[in-house]
Amino acid sequence: MTWLPETAPGANPLERVFALRPNLFEAWRDFALIFWEKRLLDPVLLELVRLRVAQLHEARFPLASRRPEALAAGLDEAKIAQLDCWWRSSAFTETECACLRFAEQFVLDAKGMSDEQARPVIDALGEKGTVALVEALAIFDGFGRFCRMLGIEPEGTHG
Amino acid sequence: MGEARIAPPEDAGSDPISGSALGHQPESLLAFMKLYGTLWSHGILDHSTKEMARIRNARTVDCGF
Repeated sequence: MTWLPETAPGANPLERVFALRPNLFEAWRDFALIFWEKRLLDPVLLELVRLRVAQLHEARFPLASRRPEALAAGLDEAKIAQLDCWWRSSAFTETECACLRFAEQFVLDAKGMSDEQARPVIDALGEKGTVALVEALAIFDGFGRFCRMLGIEPEGTHG
Repeated sequence: MGEARIAPPEDAGSDPISGSALGHQPESLLAFMKLYGTLWSHGILDHSTKEMARIRNARTVDCGF
């Protein structure tokens, strides 16, 4: 599940690694969950960008889970299945497309973000929403890298 | 560096972090500060290594903040 020689007790591969630093794990989890619990963004939009970031990193651990808030808000597997070619699909709203384009640029080359990419996101989400999106992207991007670097895989899979 | 795409809130104050655009989301800012504080003040990795990584990352993404 991970190449780390030492792991901690935990219910899943992530906990068994991150719980090696329990205080950091708790603080990270509180930060990561606030976007869902406080509904800082639409949960479907948030889940779409979370999964797209995980796809870009080919990070199987975050790809294997679904946020219940997004499912409860109507996101289904048929739409998720089109996420890896969202630009060719009519399933995504204009706002979702703008945020997915923004998310991809964030992951692949943040310093190359153009005003043309940022403006539709700010127009759609407002300043508060855009700040929330960028913070959430930082979490998703960092988490994908964390899982890849430490070899955190879903249960029952092998590197 | 160009002009910020999102200006700080009018009542954000002068702190470089809470007075930035992050001030638009006070709840997530608080959670972030807790995480950041834990990382810097309660970690087991030495500060110079963390600072080198922080600066190297900032240079990589060309962030002057």
